[in-house]
Parts: sequence; C-alpha cells; structure tokens
Amino acid sequence: MAGLMERPASGVIAADATAVQTTPESQALEQMLSTRSPQRPQRTPTFYVEIDGKQLEAFEGQTILEVCRANGIEVPTLCYDPKLPGFGACRMCVVDVDGCDSPQISCSAKAEPAAVIATQTDRLREIRRTNLELIFSDHNAYCLPPCQNKCPSHIDIPGFLKANAESQFRESARIFKRTIPFPSILGRVCPAPCEDHCRRDEVDEAIAIRDSHRYAGDQVLKSMWDEGIDPPLPFELQPKTGKRVAVVGSGPAGASAAYYLLVAGHDVTIFEKDPEPGGMLRYGIPQYRLPKIEVLDGEYQSITRLGGRFECGKMLGRDFTTADLKAQGYDAVIVAIGCYDTNDLGIPGEDAEGVIDGLDYLHTAALGLEYPNHEGSRVVVVGGGYTSMDCSRTSIRLGAKEVTLVYRRDMKDMPAADEVHEMIEEGGRAIFQAGPIRVIVDEKNRVKGLEFIRMQLGAPDASGRRRPEPAPGTEFIIECDRILKAIGQGPDMTWASVGADGIATTKNGRLKADAVTFQTGRDGVFGCGDVRNGATTVVASVADGRRCAYAADAYLQGLDLGEIRTRQTLAEPQPEFLSIVPFTGEMKEPRRRMIALDADERKHDYIQYEIPYSKSEAMAESTRCLQCTCEAIGFCDLRRLGIEYGTTLKTLEKDHLNGAGFRSITENRWTGANHDYVRDDSHAFILREPSRCIDCGRCANVCAEVVGAACYDFMRTGFDTLVTTPLDMSLNESPCVSCGRCAETCPTGALMPKPRILTKFEVDESRCILCGICVDVCPYDALRSGFDFELAHTDRSEPMIDLIALAKIERTSEATFIRGESNWENTVAGRRHDPARALPVLPSNLRAK
Amino acid sequence: MKQLSAPKGWSRLLLTPPAIPWAALRAAIAAGGAATAQTLIDAGMRGRGGGGFLTGAKWRATAQSDASPKYVVANAYESDPAVFTNRLLLEKNALGVIEGLAIAALSVGAREAMIGVRAEYSDAIRLLESVITSAEREGVLGASVLGSGRELAVRVIPLQGSSMIGEETVLLKALAGKRGQPEQTPPYPSEVGYLGKPTAVNNVATLAAVSWILTNGADAFKQIGDPAQPGTVLVQVSGSTTSSGVLEVPTGTSLAEILAAAGGPARGTTIKALLVGGPSGGFVPAQLLASTPYSCAGLAAVGAHIGSGGLLALDGSVAIPELAAMLTRWCADEACGKTIPCRIGTRRLAEIGQRFVDGLAGPEDESRLHALAADVSDSALCAHERLTPSPLLTGMRYFKHEFYLANVEQTSGAVAGWSK
Repeated sequence: MAGLMERPASGVIAADATAVQTTPESQALEQMLSTRSPQRPQRTPTFYVEIDGKQLEAFEGQTILEVCRANGIEVPTLCYDPKLPGFGACRMCVVDVDGCDSPQISCSAKAEPAAVIATQTDRLREIRRTNLELIFSDHNAYCLPPCQNKCPSHIDIPGFLKANAESQFRESARIFKRTIPFPSILGRVCPAPCEDHCRRDEVDEAIAIRDSHRYAGDQVLKSMWDEGIDPPLPFELQPKTGKRVAVVGSGPAGASAAYYLLVAGHDVTIFEKDPEPGGMLRYGIPQYRLPKIEVLDGEYQSITRLGGRFECGKMLGRDFTTADLKAQGYDAVIVAIGCYDTNDLGIPGEDAEGVIDGLDYLHTAALGLEYPNHEGSRVVVVGGGYTSMDCSRTSIRLGAKEVTLVYRRDMKDMPAADEVHEMIEEGGRAIFQAGPIRVIVDEKNRVKGLEFIRMQLGAPDASGRRRPEPAPGTEFIIECDRILKAIGQGPDMTWASVGADGIATTKNGRLKADAVTFQTGRDGVFGCGDVRNGATTVVASVADGRRCAYAADAYLQGLDLGEIRTRQTLAEPQPEFLSIVPFTGEMKEPRRRMIALDADERKHDYIQYEIPYSKSEAMAESTRCLQCTCEAIGFCDLRRLGIEYGTTLKTLEKDHLNGAGFRSITENRWTGANHDYVRDDSHAFILREPSRCIDCGRCANVCAEVVGAACYDFMRTGFDTLVTTPLDMSLNESPCVSCGRCAETCPTGALMPKPRILTKFEVDESRCILCGICVDVCPYDALRSGFDFELAHTDRSEPMIDLIALAKIERTSEATFIRGESNWENTVAGRRHDPARALPVLPSNLRAK
Repeated sequence: MKQLSAPKGWSRLLLTPPAIPWAALRAAIAAGGAATAQTLIDAGMRGRGGGGFLTGAKWRATAQSDASPKYVVANAYESDPAVFTNRLLLEKNALGVIEGLAIAALSVGAREAMIGVRAEYSDAIRLLESVITSAEREGVLGASVLGSGRELAVRVIPLQGSSMIGEETVLLKALAGKRGQPEQTPPYPSEVGYLGKPTAVNNVATLAAVSWILTNGADAFKQIGDPAQPGTVLVQVSGSTTSSGVLEVPTGTSLAEILAAAGGPARGTTIKALLVGGPSGGFVPAQLLASTPYSCAGLAAVGAHIGSGGLLALDGSVAIPELAAMLTRWCADEACGKTIPCRIGTRRLAEIGQRFVDGLAGPEDESRLHALAADVSDSALCAHERLTPSPLLTGMRYFKHEFYLANVEQTSGAVAGWSK
C-alpha cells in the first residue's frame, strides 16, 4: 500500500513535464517507471518442502496451508479466510511435520526448508473427525429438512411442494422422479414416514406430503393417457451405452433399478415370474389401494417408453439361472425378486385346512379369483404390517362375516397403525398384545379356532419397540374358519443353488449383497430390495433399487466400486434456494384431508376409496410447507467435510432400516447438552441463524479487519461461547454497513443473504393527522396530496387511477432524476399536480359526474 | 494465605528481598544484555510459568527480533482457585520482581515494561507502585536507568475477568484491551507479542529468581534443586494437611517431603492422593508420593504438572470421580471458547465424567473418555486445553474402581433394569 500512497498526483507530474518540456508519451513512460509497484517483490527466496511424498516449491514466509492450497493439496479448514492471517480456531487444518511431537496447525505454521509434512494420516483424520462430531453434537440445525431426512429415498420434498404450490405439477413430478420414478404409486401406498417428522406439525398439522405428490403424479398420468405426452424425465437421457442389463423381478425395487439404468443409457430387460409386471405392487396390494390399470400400468409405462422390455412368466431358478443370463450376453444382472415366503407361525396345528398364507390369499384376490367359501366365514388375521391390513380389508370386501386382526404388540408399535381405524370403520375389529399359541382343529383337521395368549411388553429391543412377552394364564380362544398368516415374509433363495456360483445367503436367509455397492459374491450380479433387506416398505425398496442402479451403472462404466459411496452421496439431490414462506409467524391452517368414501359403501367395493384433491386444494396444501431446508446446502463447508469424514447423519445410522442407531444430527459419540438459539431476521439483508453457527470467528475477523465495522465478536465463555453481535443486539443496531461479507465468508448457513419477502402495508386513516410527511418522502410518488386537503392513496389490485394514462404523463421526480430520465430543474414543477394534468388519470367510471 | 516455615536446608531465594537493592540491575547493566541472557542460560534458569522454557533463550530471541519497539511483560495474573503464590511473592519481594523485570527490559532492549496483575491483589499493587515510584525518584528507573542513559518505564496494569488471562498470549491481548483469547504459536511472543511487537513475557517468580542469580551467580543457582531445572518453586499446600500455606521448595523435592513440610496429614486422616497443578492438575496416589520429584519431568511421568503450584491433599472422604468431573467442568466453563475441541470437547469430557459420578456411564464411556482426551490434547491451542483432561485421566489411571462404584450402585439398586 505504501507505494500507492506515494504515487505522485497527476498535477505534480504535469508541472514537472512543463519544466523539462517532454512529450506526452515520455511523460506516461516516466510515470510508469517512477511509480513504485504496490505489490510485494515478485520473487522471494524459494525452497522445497515434501508434502505427502511430493517435493513442492514454497516461498519464504508461506504457511504450510498456503503451500498446500497452491499445489492442489486439500487440507480441510473451517475458520480460515484467505483474506486474513491464520486464526487457529477450528483445528481442522492439523498436519504432521516430521520432528514435531504434536500435530501442527498449518494455517499459521510457516513452511520450513526441507520440512517433511503429511496431511492425511489416520491420526489426523481421527482428530478432524472428532472435531466435526463435536461441532455436530452442538449443531441444533439440519441440512436437509427432517421430512427429507426421514424419507428412505430422500426425496426433495420442499422442492416438489414448492413446484406444486406454483401449480407446476409436471415439474413437481420431475423433481420427485429424481429419486423415485413413481409419484402416483407412492402417493397411494407409501406409509409416509416423512409426515411423522414434518415441522409444520409444530405450527398446526403436518403437510399432506404423500397426497401432494399423488396429485402431481396423477396429473402426469392424466396427460399421458389423455394426450399421449411422455412423463417428464428426471435427468437428461444419456446416449446408448450398448451395455445390456437383466433385472430379475419387476416389483418396486426392480422397476426402480430398471428406470434409472434406462435413463443412464443402458439396455434393460426385466424378467417377471407372474403373468404381468408389478410384483408385490400388483399381486400383494389390493385394487382399492392401488388401481392396477390406471395407476400401476400407467406408471410402468415410463419404463417401456424408455425402451425397457418386460419378459413375464419367466422365473429365476425355474426358467433360467444367473449363469444363463450371463451366457445370453447380459453385462450385469440385478436380482430384485422380493420376499414371497410367508413366515410360519411356529405353533401346533399350523398345517390345518383353513390356515392360509396371507400373500397367496391376496395374490388370488388380485387375480380376480375368489377364495372358495370365503363369503360368510369368520377370519382371523395374524400380524401388524400392511399385508395384514390388506388381508383384513380384502376379507371384508370378499364378504367375510367377521374379521379379527390380532397383533402381538401395541397399536402404536404397529407398522400399519395408520390404516387400523379405516379397517375398523369397515367392520373389522382389532386385538392388540396377543399372540397365537395353538390352532384348534376339528376331527377333519379343519380350523375351528385359534388360541391366543396375552402379551405384556418387556424391555425395548433393537428396533426401539418394547419386546412382547407372554403373560401366563391369560389364554383365550377366538372361534374362526380361516386363519390368514401375515407375520412377515422371507425371500425364496432356492434359485441360488443352481447356476449361481458365488451367491451366498445371510444367516436370515436373505441374499447377501453389499449395503453400498450391492454386489453379491458373483461378479456382475447385484441384489437389491426385499430379497436383500427382508420385507420392507415400497419406498425403501424403490430407494434400494435406485442406489443399486447407480452402483451397477458405475460397474458397467468400469469405475472403482469403492468410489460409489461418494458418488451416491453426491447423487442425492440438493434442494435449491427456496423462499416461498417465512418460517415464523405462521397462520394456523389445518391440513387438507382427502375425503374417504363412506365405509358402508367402500367395504363392498375395490374402487379407490379416497376422493383425490382438486387442483386448488393441491396447491393450497403445498403452500403450507415451511420450506425448512437450510439455505446454505450445497455451499456448506461443514456438511461437505461431514460427508468426507463420515460424520453426517446417514453414515452414523448403523442400522437405519431397523430404526436403531443415532436419530438426529446432534447425536453421535459426544452427544450432550446443546444450544438452541433464536434466529435474528431483523436485518433487511442478512439473516442470522445462530443455531447453525460453529463459532469459527470468520465473520468477526472479516468484519473487524477487512470492513472495519466490528459487528461481531465472541461473547460469553466456555461452552456457551457464541460469535454474535455485542450483547446479542439486533444486527440493525450494530455498526453494520450491509456489505454482506460476513454472509459471504460464513462456512455454514449461520449468516445468509436474506430472501426477500413481499410486505403488505396498511394505512390507518383514522390516525392520520394529514401532516403530509409520507407524501414528501415517498420516492415513487405512491402517495400524493389530494385537492381537498386529503390523503389520496391507492391499491395495486384495484386501481383507483388509470395506470396507463398515468404512465403517459411526463412527470419528474427524484426517482426519475436518479434514473437519469430527466434533469433536476423540472422537479419542482413535477411535484405540483395541477388539476388539468391529473384529471385523465381517473378511470372513466370515476370521472366527474 | 501464609508462608509456611520451611525445613532447614531449603533455600529461600524468591521470598527474600535482595540484600542490596538494585545490585543485580547494576551488575546486569555492567555485563550487557547478551551476557545477562547467557548467564541465565548457564544457570539453567527455566520459566516458572509452567512452560519450563529457558528464560535466557527467550530473552535472546526477543532481543534478536528485527521489529521494534520491544516490550517486557511480567505475568502476575494467577487465576487458579485457591492458589496465591504470586500474591505472596509480590507482597514479600516486590523489589526483586521489579529488579528482575528491569533486567529483562534492558537485556531485550525494551523501553517499556508492564506488570499484569490481578486487580484483586490491592496490597500487592500498592507495594509494586510504591517500589516503582521510589525507584523513579532515586533515578533507578525512568529516563536514565542507574545513570546508564537507558530509558525504562515500568507500569503496573491491574487486570480483571477471565481466568484465561494467565495464559501468556491471552495476557498480551488483555493488556491491549482485547478479548482474552489465545493466539496460535508460533510465532511466539518473542516475535509477535504485545501490539504485534516482540515481547518477553515472564512469570513474576522467574523475575525474582533472575534478580537472585545476577547477585549470587549462576553456579550458586545450579547447586539448588534438580540439576535439570535448578532453583526453587513456590508451592501452595492446602486440603487435608496439618497446616496450609505457601512453601518455597527446591525443585526435585519429593511430594512426600513437601507434604511433611506442611506438617503431614491433618489429625485423624490419611492422605489418599495429592492433586498437583491446580484444577487442570493430575491426581498422584499416596503410594507414588515418595518416588515422585516435584519437577517438570518427574510430574509429567505420573500425569501431573507444576502448573500454578497448587498442591491439594485429599483424604479418604474425597470421591475422586466427583472432584475430577467438577474440576473438568470448571475448566470447561472457564475456557475462552476459541477452538472447537476446547469449547465443546472439554464440556463433553465433563459430561462423560459426570455420567460416571451419576452411575449412568455406558460401556463405551471409558474408551470415549480416552479418545476424546487424546484428541483434545493433540489439537490444543493453549495449555489450558491441553491439560484439562488431566484430572479425569489420572483419576481413571489410579482410581478406576471408584469410577464404577456409582454404576454398580445404580444397577443393583433402584433403577435396575435400566440399560443403555
């Protein structure tokens, strides 16, 4: 800077030039030569240091971090700002220097000649990981909104709701299809774990997320059926790769895998053992929940329209083996055959006539066949999942006289708890905390009844639910003619014995496949869906299928499968910057419920029993979304490092399918007390969310050292330290100059440029004293003094004045002057409104009568 | 706070004022700055602030630094609770401290020296100011120190607030009127210190010893105490002892001897352990007291450190886990909040300790304690952060069974069946 200060003013040069009578050219040259450069010398002494085994040139005075950055070596930082000297608060930039006992802080340690430095040892990564976990343990915020986090497929929920609210239903479906290809199917059959975690629930009621994407998906289906318009594609269709993939099983997992492989440009054939594709969607889920032709066939057209082929009636193990598929030239095989073997009750008399596999029963019903003698029978359904509910409600529809559902745990632990009341409305009954112990048969080995024992709830198990234990002496009998078993299913793995070398099963009898790369023991064979996980929900299977497709795609591209974990993380959609509704001050507005048909009416029929949203209802419901997404997502250094060091929520959940593991972002090894701060949105341009602050001090340093305003500093001591304004005052009352550098440097979303919100103003005329100050100060002439010593004000929506006529008048104001449209001299005249000029402004119906 | 009478043979060089005022300063002026620093290096004088850095080397580095002006700072901000060694020193030997400070200033080439002292030490501040005033009147300090033509102004600066101010880089920021947070070293204060200029920061006990060395010679100093770290240190004995107060102890004296000098255990008690080094110190169990010398290396071997010079005797009535958790929590609350491992990590350590106290510790908590302690220490910015895990670590090392007592009570008692 010294050089700049000493640069002579131009006037001085001119005086000198006149004295020696030089030409203008030589003057300029003289000036260039005599003006000292403000920069530091071009060359400082250099030397070599060894970093991660590479010999790198370093300048004297450079820090280790600067040398690393200059040579493309990634050293993580959170508190470092290139504009400022190293601060050393985040302790992320630790490096090992040979000869030093403890790790060095690379943002302040200078590079020394011939130093040997390592940036990525196990110990350093452990220290950084601990640091990140410590931050997360006091990070009372979230990246993805809770709904999106809880969705097994991580759909961009705020994203599609925003599109819905703007009546962009096709775009909404497209956003949905980035993670799940079938918005309409999931809109009917998903258990909607997202809705349980909706933050809107804290205001009034959770958003109807499922019903909202159902509407969007239905619009796409409608335009496809009526007008032949292809469904939207989530991503650009990739050019053909020439690779062939066989997907075995056309259920949710297989269809989802096939869809994303088709988008990736591969040639896909889907094998299905049943006569029609759909798997459990077609043969397990009844028509009244999922209409087969309108919805299922319609959604599956998005696969056939991309060139996918279904080969139905071909069963793995019966008609072909995995070896056959490879021999037929398939480059990869995805096994997604689901779970079809219903678990046994394991009680005496189970082989009696009348004990029926629930899935077989549903299969028969779905084929349109009737179970003989079902009408008028007394049915007991054992189980608590969706299959048990489908069995119960189908039994009612098939005319059973008496339907009883028995579940061994409490209702709140029941996976299908949300459907119980509908089943009871239709005439069924439910008994909880009872388990079967014996089938009572007559002399012909036909079912007469089922004996139960009451269950008491013991200690919680791995799934967090209390384990049921029999209570002796509480046995009771329910008389019945039919027993439907619906206590879960396992996969049929008999196919693995022939032509499937290398395929292994787990100890639960499932297909053994890696949880990340989905590879089985056989090269090029992948496994996903229920066959790998055991019976789960449709949404979990679809998610599994998508991830498996990415893994298979990477395999077909010849990529390192070890990198898939990262690829998958990055493939998860990032919500965009969203701002349709502010977070606070929400009006109470209840959820729009779909109206169900009357129970007496629907229980005889297989038609869908819910009346879908109208367009305005769908838009209004989506508008309720609070858009909880962190605005910094995609820019957040903490999240990026969290993913890199495996400390984010997803990787911390050891066994998320079983509900075990850590539940929120603040839960990890160090979980303890944490802070919940209040958001400060008082400033016009900068939004402060202290709960997202990691106390790196960057804003404080930049504001003090670069800007000079010093709005922020560390406050309080110990664990309660927070980088904030003096005494936590509003940023408005600090010396803030709204330069935005604090928001720019913030590594997380604690300081953000504020989204603009339209504000509506109201004028209370009863309090107006006609001082006219508002008229004087308004830069846009929105308020004017009227002719009769009154305040004339107007409204955009109902113009009292003819805006077109107004625009034609040549007027001058400060605003037009600033815009350069006129000059200042006319301003005074412009401020006076003479009646002759103002008259045409009134619309014709209001002009002088 | 009182001075305990020391056994025969223990030198008293810190708590006794110089016999001939300003003789050492006169000798230092005659020898010159470089030679003075060399004398201290020859004497093996190590800083008494806890770091144990060679005082002469520190001065030399400050003197050789390019930037100017240079400053000298005396650190009299002792912040550990129940430790008053600096206060006693200032009240007994303010002259020696100021003489040492003047010697330091002339050696490094500073024209301004400051004493950062706790504002609560009003007697000490008054004494220091009266010594400075009379020295200025006599021409010892001021425009020409003892007629040498060198200029030196000494100021007493009372400080108040965070306990972290005792840390040297924090002290420098506090003197400059900024928030008390440490700075990353290197660069050390000898390069970038007060107001960004080279600064020699010395503990007041170090300065008092400097005055003695320049009067009595390096060789005489080396005769005292542990040869690796010669001299005496001020130790505050408290807790379950017959008498409590400050002792001037030759380095290398065993902990058992120090305990005996304080009259041994209080009547009717037996000592279970000593907490050595203040709230971030380590527990040393009774069986190690005789074999543990009071020196940097000796204490480090058992997991403790000299620190502020605090020495708390604990009898059988003390529950080690409870005390360790409380001390850790105190340290966590006093942290300045600058670095993440310190702000959150030390608090988490305290929480883990508290879980042991409450009998709520899970099976993984012990390994977590060790893992977190290692990570916090290894990525530490200042000594506070590095040493905070000490009470829990040494407690776990020597009194592990006590940590599980509460757990056993919990599982056998009222909340049986609770599992984590």
